Amino acid sequence: MPKEPKVTGLSPNEGPPGTKVTIRGENLGTGATDLTGLTICGVNCLLTAEWVSPSKITCKTGLCKGKGEVIVTTRSGGLGTCTVTFRGYVMQTGPLEESAVWIDESTTTDKRGRSKSSSALFRKNEDPLGMSMEGKGKFPIDQLEEMFPEGSGDPSNDKFLSEWFLIENHHHTSFEDLKSGLSYLKRKSSQRSEGPLAFMKGNLTSIMDCQDALAAMHQDLLKDESTSEGGSITEKLESLLNKANDSANAMYQDVLGRKDKADATRNALNVLQRFRFLFSLPGSIERNIQNGDYDIVINDYAKAKSLFADTEVQVFKRVYLEVEKQIEAFRGQLTEKLMQLPSSLDEQSKLIRYLMDLGAPGDPAWDCLVNQQKWLLQLLLDCKEEHIKQAQSAPSVAGSEGDTPSHTPLKYRPSVGTPGSVFTPGRSSVKRMPSFGSTQSPDQAGWKFKTPQRVQFVDDLTDVLLENFPDLWKLWEGYSTGSLLNETAEKADVANQEKETQFKKMVEEVMAVYSKLLRAAFLPESLSSSPEERIKYGVWPEGKYDNMAHWLPQFVRTIRSCYGTLSGMNLPDETTHDVRDVAQDTRVHCVTTLLQQATEDVKALNDRETWTVERDDRGGITTLPLLFENIITELIQHLKEVVQSRAEESEIFRGADTRIKVSKLCEDMLSAFSVTMDQLAFRTDTEAETTCIASDSLLPTSQQPSSGHDELTSPSEHIPPLERRLVIVLSNCSHTREKVLPKLIDLLEKNGYPEVQKVQKGSQSCFSGLDEKLFDAYLEQKADPLVGALEPGVYAGYFMWNDCLPPRGVRNYVKEALMNLIAVHAEVFSISPLLVERVLSRLLQALAEEMLRLMECVTDWSRDGAIQARLELCALQDALALYKTPESSKSFHDALQIVPPVTSAADRKNLEELMNKFKSNMQLQLTCFRSDSLKRTLV
Amino acid sequence: MASKPKPLQMALHKVIMVGSGGVGKSALTLQFMYDEFVEDYEPTKADSYRKKVVLDGEEVQIDILDTAGQEDYAAIRDNYFRSGEGFLCVFSITEQESFAATADFREQILRVKNDENIPFLLVGNKCDLFDKRQVTIETATAKAGEWNVPYVETSAKTRQNVDKVFFDLMCEIRDRKKEETAKPDGKKNKKTKKEGKRKKKCVIL
Repeated sequence: MPKEPKVTGLSPNEGPPGTKVTIRGENLGTGATDLTGLTICGVNCLLTAEWVSPSKITCKTGLCKGKGEVIVTTRSGGLGTCTVTFRGYVMQTGPLEESAVWIDESTTTDKRGRSKSSSALFRKNEDPLGMSMEGKGKFPIDQLEEMFPEGSGDPSNDKFLSEWFLIENHHHTSFEDLKSGLSYLKRKSSQRSEGPLAFMKGNLTSIMDCQDALAAMHQDLLKDESTSEGGSITEKLESLLNKANDSANAMYQDVLGRKDKADATRNALNVLQRFRFLFSLPGSIERNIQNGDYDIVINDYAKAKSLFADTEVQVFKRVYLEVEKQIEAFRGQLTEKLMQLPSSLDEQSKLIRYLMDLGAPGDPAWDCLVNQQKWLLQLLLDCKEEHIKQAQSAPSVAGSEGDTPSHTPLKYRPSVGTPGSVFTPGRSSVKRMPSFGSTQSPDQAGWKFKTPQRVQFVDDLTDVLLENFPDLWKLWEGYSTGSLLNETAEKADVANQEKETQFKKMVEEVMAVYSKLLRAAFLPESLSSSPEERIKYGVWPEGKYDNMAHWLPQFVRTIRSCYGTLSGMNLPDETTHDVRDVAQDTRVHCVTTLLQQATEDVKALNDRETWTVERDDRGGITTLPLLFENIITELIQHLKEVVQSRAEESEIFRGADTRIKVSKLCEDMLSAFSVTMDQLAFRTDTEAETTCIASDSLLPTSQQPSSGHDELTSPSEHIPPLERRLVIVLSNCSHTREKVLPKLIDLLEKNGYPEVQKVQKGSQSCFSGLDEKLFDAYLEQKADPLVGALEPGVYAGYFMWNDCLPPRGVRNYVKEALMNLIAVHAEVFSISPLLVERVLSRLLQALAEEMLRLMECVTDWSRDGAIQARLELCALQDALALYKTPESSKSFHDALQIVPPVTSAADRKNLEELMNKFKSNMQLQLTCFRSDSLKRTLV
Repeated sequence: MASKPKPLQMALHKVIMVGSGGVGKSALTLQFMYDEFVEDYEPTKADSYRKKVVLDGEEVQIDILDTAGQEDYAAIRDNYFRSGEGFLCVFSITEQESFAATADFREQILRVKNDENIPFLLVGNKCDLFDKRQVTIETATAKAGEWNVPYVETSAKTRQNVDKVFFDLMCEIRDRKKEETAKPDGKKNKKTKKEGKRKKKCVIL
């Protein structure tokens, strides 16, 4: 069982409060946590106790006075005992003693002058009634306090109450005893009052002796005074005393001086202690700045400012000055930090708040705004410089690519996604040039799929603006509304008007620079032509400019999204005008460029004609119109986004100039196809030859074995003879005019292109012109031999109308003409059945006119001749009845008028027979025309 | 409970350690009290120790007052000495000055106690450091003989003779007390004198 703690040794065994005591003994606990109590002279010292071992504890004494035990309490052993005692005392440090600690002398009471309170009637522990106070039960104090709330049982106390005293000490005493006590008290007091007298009585002889001695001394003194030389004895005494005083002074001067010094030092220490805050402020400010505890610094500074700013004390002034200097430096540091960009808005507002709290001069927020704006401008310009440099560093690639600008762009539009769809199977010249591809394709591919520098530039520039400008704006908003700094709210109101206009100007400047940079990149011609300005906003290498077209929509998208973001920020309207204008201009530019591009593309289509006719029920066309349509549709799709106006933007085709320009371009674009077709149709054979040779010569010899198939599909093989070409193109043309064009016009109108009617009219007239031209050309090709063959045919075999055999049937020339027509029919029908009627009716017309002319030339008719002529005319008319036109009918009619009428019935019968014979003989041939009509009726 | 009245009956012998600073008074005391040797030196002011020991089969209490050796405290020694019943006057055999100082202590004790036969032991400490000895046994023994007291050499480090000096002194104190109670002269007279003094009231002129 654990034993109770026992203290058997103390080192030291006495001391003033705070003495470190080593307590030794037994069972002083099993550990630091086992120790639960430690009292020295009844004063708890557990707080300072330090458990060392079960036999040793050290602690510091508390405020104890007098002797007392040291009791240790442990959890394991309970309350302990003690065999030794500790004596506590309060040490008073006198003025002449050295002291390691500061002694507050203000509370030190000088006891020298105070009389001792020995006038108390009774000594303690001595009963005033002369009776023992020990051994009797005392009356409980608290009850007494209840009975006499304002009294005291202490005879030396002012509020002494005899009742209290008696009840407290003598409530067991008998009345007799009290009586005798009273008499004792009376005796005592009488003794006291007659004390001196009694003393005199008792010592009368001694007193007399003293008096005698004093008298003798007096006489001696008088004698000395009278006999001694050099003045009275008191004088001597005085001088002696003075000397003694002097020497005493001298002796103590040192000590007193030291005391003064000590006092001064203590004073200084005291001041240092009391104003430690101020004195340690420079150090703590530096430390806190280093630690980044700016709030503490600001608080400290505010405190110091309020306390010491107006101080008159030199020391404070000096220290405060130092603090001010530090804060000044700190402010500088903060300002520098604030001016350091990029930084987040939070960081900035924090710094600004710090600066304001530190009472920085001027307007740090405004400075910050100005700085940030400048920085942003610089950033924009830097962006430009960098990109221009990069663009210039790769001009060779741009140049080589710039040489072949015409067909690449649309194919590589990033948004189209499937460039292969634009390719036609036959159009594979690039594919069929492996050497060309193998040597250059890596570079080309690299370039093709790499975003051009300018587009990157625009993206980056916009990124830079959108990344940094909102911060600037938010900072301004915070600044202008005062939310940045609560206390400057009123101040901001005053500054607002002036600052707002200034800031607006700043924003405008940013926007102007931004938009001008954009213009420099994409619309250099829209900038003012002064060379400095051009240089300022960057001169881009020109080479690649043509290839930019397909990047334009992206560019437009970027700018518009930028403008959208900007206008979403509630910026003042006038500030974003520049950007809006740029957006507008770029849109127009984009549209026009792409339209031009498309026109080029359309013009380039003639290289891609395959002459492969694909027929549908409406007629045969090649892929060309489809390609044309594709190009335009794609373009319109592509431009859709660009053309569509957003809420905050104005209509793209608002300006009259723009409208005219765009509609003109549209018209050009559409008409370009007619030009293309024109070229295709009337391309001379020599041209085709050279193209063929040119492409053939590019074929490497190694490719010969496998080129057999290629040759079959080579363009020269494919280019059909002129007549066929004409028909194909004619078919294409009419198809385009009737089907494609309305579709496209419709599309244009839907997409809000301006003056579509005019475009339609223009392009339609263009196409019909082409149609006429083609048709005429074709007719010329066909009608000339047909018609030319008639006259020799009529007069073949020296045939004379007035002198001929009776007709035996339709002569060969009619059949020949019909066969020719059938050939034409076949040719046209194979390409476009729809054209057959048109062509044949025109041919018939020409035929009829020729026949009429021939008939008019005949002056003399024989009967047989008349029958013959009538037969042949009727046969022709009959065979081609399907293609008759008013003109041809009239011609035939006129011709028949010229021919003398057949009057006799036999002749008429003969004519009919011959006619039937012709029909039956030529049935097969005639069916070709019929079948056509059959087909047409079916359709 | 039952232990309370016991100490009252138990004999209490008050021993005082005297000697120059650093001779090993505290070391001897702590070795005796707690069987521990303290290496580090910390000047003592005044330490109290008390414990039960068995002296010749009898349970007694020993009260040890370990005093300061330094001269700074010379003035307050009188007070301590007055309460002492026996003295261990310690010096270090490695330090001649400490041996010389024992004479002063002896003198002071005799002056305060006014008793030639006060229990007193001359103790030569640090005898484990014999290679640094400055005070020969002969010198010390001679001195002890001169004073008519025993001389013992001790080592607080090795505990050599530590118990011996304390028990020897206690025996002397006990014998002395027995003597006093046996023949009520001399000392007793002194005591009565003192008591008389106390009873007489001071007269202030």
